[in-house]
Amino acid sequence: MSVYDFTVKTKRGEDKSLADYKGKVLLIVNTASKCGFTPQFAELQKLYDTYKDKGLEILGFPCNQFAGQEPGTNDEVQQFCKLNYGVTFPIFAKGDVRGETAQPLFKYLTAQKKFEGFDMNHPVAKPLLDALQKNFPEYLEGDGIKWNFTKFLIDREGEIVARFEPTTTPAAIAGDIEKLL
Amino acid sequence: MVKVYSFESCPWCNKVKNYLKARGVEFETRDIELSEEAAAECQKISGDLTVPVTTIDGVHYVLGFDKKKIDELLASA
Repeated sequence: MSVYDFTVKTKRGEDKSLADYKGKVLLIVNTASKCGFTPQFAELQKLYDTYKDKGLEILGFPCNQFAGQEPGTNDEVQQFCKLNYGVTFPIFAKGDVRGETAQPLFKYLTAQKKFEGFDMNHPVAKPLLDALQKNFPEYLEGDGIKWNFTKFLIDREGEIVARFEPTTTPAAIAGDIEKLL
Repeated sequence: MVKVYSFESCPWCNKVKNYLKARGVEFETRDIELSEEAAAECQKISGDLTVPVTTIDGVHYVLGFDKKKIDELLASA
């Protein structure tokens, strides 16, 4: 069993086998489903621009299980949305990533790589933890996805190398990606 | 006919549509995520794939949920 055994749905409802990405370094990310102020999209795009020619592919999976604004950020000020959040890497169909209804890919990823806590040095860590304790205390139990922008790094052979929580910014994992390219 | 270029998970698009409905304005929804044709039209009108884009003639348009500008656009038709 590996990530290559999974099939996911594109935004237009077509099946896409992850086996099509064999030989690439993959960063699989559950993304926010709304188009508010989400700096991680911009940082992910920067990683993609830097490393896509060397074999990095980023796969985004929007999910609306984490309701409301990103904690610790301002309210939406812009009154419009960019298609695909302004990124050029693939964004798949919206779907669940945690609990019974989670897509099989995310059940697999979270079973293989456990939750090891947030990086409390990140400015969002404290408000995120507070928001979870207040609104979704059950999300803090177990190894399920805790919030938007959890990232799984997969090597060219399909092995899951690392899991990064939302409190690790895309820029901070550039070194981990470089090692695999 | 008023056209609103939009996609489903865009809250501002829904606000524009609800505003038009509240004003009793008939409009056509053009989903740029589901239709490549709609995306190409949107790109041609505004030069970008940022929505909501509201237009009547495909030339003059309003980007975003801006009630004042939408009112002006409707009044000019």
